[in-house]
Amino acid sequence: MDYTRRDFLKSALGASTLLSFAPATPNFLVRSAMAASSRRKERDTVLVVVQLSGGNDGLNTLVPYDDDEYGRNRPTLRLPTKELHKINSVLGFHPRMKAFARLYKQGHLSIIQGVGYPNSDRSHDGAMRIWHTADPGHPNRQTGWLGRAVDSVWNPNETNTRAVFVGPIVQPFGLNAENVIVPSIRSLGDLATGQMPGVPKGHSQSKRTSELPRTDKKNQLLDFLRHCKTNAYANSRRIEAVIKASASTAEYPSFQLAESFRTVAQLIRADVGIRIFFTEFGGGGIGGFDNHANQLGNHCALLHQLSESVAAFVDDLKRDKLLDRVLLMTFSEFGRTVKENGRRGTGHGAGAPVFLAGGKLKGGLIGPRPSLTDLDNGAPKFHTDFRRVYATVLDRWLGFESRTVLDKQYKPLDVLNV
Amino acid sequence: MVVQIDKPPAHEKSKQVHSSVTEKLTDPGWAWSAYQPDAQRPWTLAQAGHLYRRAAFGATWDQLQQALSDGPQRTLDKLLRPQADIAAFNRAYDEYSSGTGSADGLRAWWLRRMILTPHPLLEKMTLFWHSHFATNITKVKSARMTRQYIQLLRSQALNSFRAMLKGISCDPAMLIWLGAEANRKARPNENFARTLMESFTLGPGNYKEKDVQEAARAFTGWFVLRSKLRYIPREHDGNIKQILGQKGNFTGDDVIRIVLEQHATAETLVRKLYRRLICETQEPNAKLISPLAKSFAKDYDILKLAEKMLRSNLFFSAAAYRRRIKSPVEFALGIVKPLEAVISTTQLAQDLADLGQNLYEPPTVKGWTGGRHWINSSTMVGRHNLALALLQGSAPYGDKLNPWTVAKKHGCSTSESATGFLLDLFVQGDLEPDVRDNLLKPAGAPVDAGGDDSAGTVRRFAHVVVTLPEFNLA
Repeated sequence: MDYTRRDFLKSALGASTLLSFAPATPNFLVRSAMAASSRRKERDTVLVVVQLSGGNDGLNTLVPYDDDEYGRNRPTLRLPTKELHKINSVLGFHPRMKAFARLYKQGHLSIIQGVGYPNSDRSHDGAMRIWHTADPGHPNRQTGWLGRAVDSVWNPNETNTRAVFVGPIVQPFGLNAENVIVPSIRSLGDLATGQMPGVPKGHSQSKRTSELPRTDKKNQLLDFLRHCKTNAYANSRRIEAVIKASASTAEYPSFQLAESFRTVAQLIRADVGIRIFFTEFGGGGIGGFDNHANQLGNHCALLHQLSESVAAFVDDLKRDKLLDRVLLMTFSEFGRTVKENGRRGTGHGAGAPVFLAGGKLKGGLIGPRPSLTDLDNGAPKFHTDFRRVYATVLDRWLGFESRTVLDKQYKPLDVLNV
Repeated sequence: MVVQIDKPPAHEKSKQVHSSVTEKLTDPGWAWSAYQPDAQRPWTLAQAGHLYRRAAFGATWDQLQQALSDGPQRTLDKLLRPQADIAAFNRAYDEYSSGTGSADGLRAWWLRRMILTPHPLLEKMTLFWHSHFATNITKVKSARMTRQYIQLLRSQALNSFRAMLKGISCDPAMLIWLGAEANRKARPNENFARTLMESFTLGPGNYKEKDVQEAARAFTGWFVLRSKLRYIPREHDGNIKQILGQKGNFTGDDVIRIVLEQHATAETLVRKLYRRLICETQEPNAKLISPLAKSFAKDYDILKLAEKMLRSNLFFSAAAYRRRIKSPVEFALGIVKPLEAVISTTQLAQDLADLGQNLYEPPTVKGWTGGRHWINSSTMVGRHNLALALLQGSAPYGDKLNPWTVAKKHGCSTSESATGFLLDLFVQGDLEPDVRDNLLKPAGAPVDAGGDDSAGTVRRFAHVVVTLPEFNLA
């Protein structure tokens, strides 16, 4: 199944891999160099979380065109029915989300409708904090759900980085871990070792030190660091190889988000053991999807970028037969009010759709469409607790224990073909 | 000059000596006695390097040489109680307020202080307490309050734990961080009381939920209003409380007195400092910790405790040597200090954040976990790249750090002699022979890129040395 990738790595890494020193190499180093293949036995699925900052208007993303309440409440923001990309007799994607509609038809996109939590918090910081901590009752919670997920699978013999934030803003709190260091990167180069000017060819420092494989029975810490260094430099070489081999092969639109996805795809291709990627769209703070006035144009541009970037990512992975290992999930701190606000914008809402993309989806719409008349303070109500989505990706997709991360067992959703 | 202490010589007799030392380490009387070098346990460059890694942020060549001639106990006199005018240095830094109005400014300023201070142990301990009494400036949202909080830690870092704890219980930054700005009689805020017992003193398992609730009542009446601590008498719950077996009309001060009376507090703190100063790979047994905890419980004198640990046979034994992983701050300053220059600490603060140690922003109330958690494949690459940035002689750090200049200053005239010098400077030459040979052998040793590029050659070699696994150990 992943013939292409392994084949590629074999040729990209060539004779410089540690494996070529195998006869003189102690077992644990061979093991670490073989990590890629031993990981085959473990789960090697990857989760990509996309944060849509500001509160995305679910109703103008997946439009209930057949519901009269939609048009009635949105005199200036209603989208013309004939331009929508209809997925059934009621719902259609925003006119600029053609690519999402295609992915949906291909079975690479699913929509979980009406995701939220009780007593919705309508402030950006408060609501985002809740999505990050996955703990609505405790605003002082000190760790993010993904941070806890990474801490929960840490063990002293696994030195691969498990989660990475890719993007130009401050690392979102969802990744805050009590123990593990989760790196933030802007580009692939941040995970590759640089070289001192003037190092002659063939005298790479990383290569030289990895030629010193040895164990120290007396000092386990030294052993650990040697193991980690060897593994880190091997990972770095895999990343460098991927940079060289596929610099301009895949086509991505020139959006910041697409660039982040390209980086994620490269890291998946490099096969360096990262299981969780976090990316952000909308600027991190207030702004982005937070359209209180003149929403139409801005929202249109954002959705277009989202749709095209995700599609480029999915297509890229599919081409390399990697899509089956990847699940992407969007979230936003809240949806928006049904009624527009007199300034051609919308107010902070509650429940909203979560989009999933990947190669192992059952596809389709999940959960009923939230009513536009039975509202939570002017906004569509939620019916699926967001922690059920988290439990799904943790238990069913990553193979982590969601109960440890979420403090109790939430019922996973039946959305994956695994 | 270079003696390796971590490795007993091959012949049988020495092995016996080594194992008898191991046995003696479990005897608290011997383990905590002041180390006096003898034939079996000589005072070496490696030991001097070890001391300067733990009690400072690394050493210059002159400091290592001075330590060799002074011996361990005299070197410790200087590290614990420097002759220099520390008060004047600290006053100058405390009073300098421009550039410390922001989190970034504060970070840069503290790192600069760590590099230049005549009393590095004080800064090291301040950093230790910053992790113990962790607060996060993103929540406190005030550089002024954060500065005040760090000054409190510094003023007691090597002084009285009792006074520090008392200060922390009244510190606006701490109370805001814990969400304990309001302590009403009708609604006692348990956040401070809980953290006090769980993280600051007793540790989990040494108190009950009821103790937290009762202690919270004792702290009622205290508020942070407009960034200042205020006491509102009518909001204080003056009724009887029962805390950890004691009953009375207690106030916050009483709670602090009561938790300090518990043996668990002294023991928890001694264990934590043991992990920081001596060894993080093995939990010490109760017998070893007990005498120190007993003595610490009497006066909570931190200097006395740190002194006992640092002067001890245990500290200078194989059980402590390279038994900790350097934090990012220790890693970076361990490159900067020996090279005798000051670099841009604004840039450094950012780079340290990327490695997982953003000053004033520890990840949780428990501070930085550290140890093996500092290290994963991306932080390892990050350390490699930070070392590169520091040593390459160009932007962003410029050419402030120049290992070749330092080597020449200390008598090296060729790049070959400089390589030996740098091994001694950074790892005290303490590498296993084959590791060392591999670094120095012609195929591995630095090759001049052509022309007289000794400076470049030496830079490249210095980078190889500081990216060794051995250099990442404290």
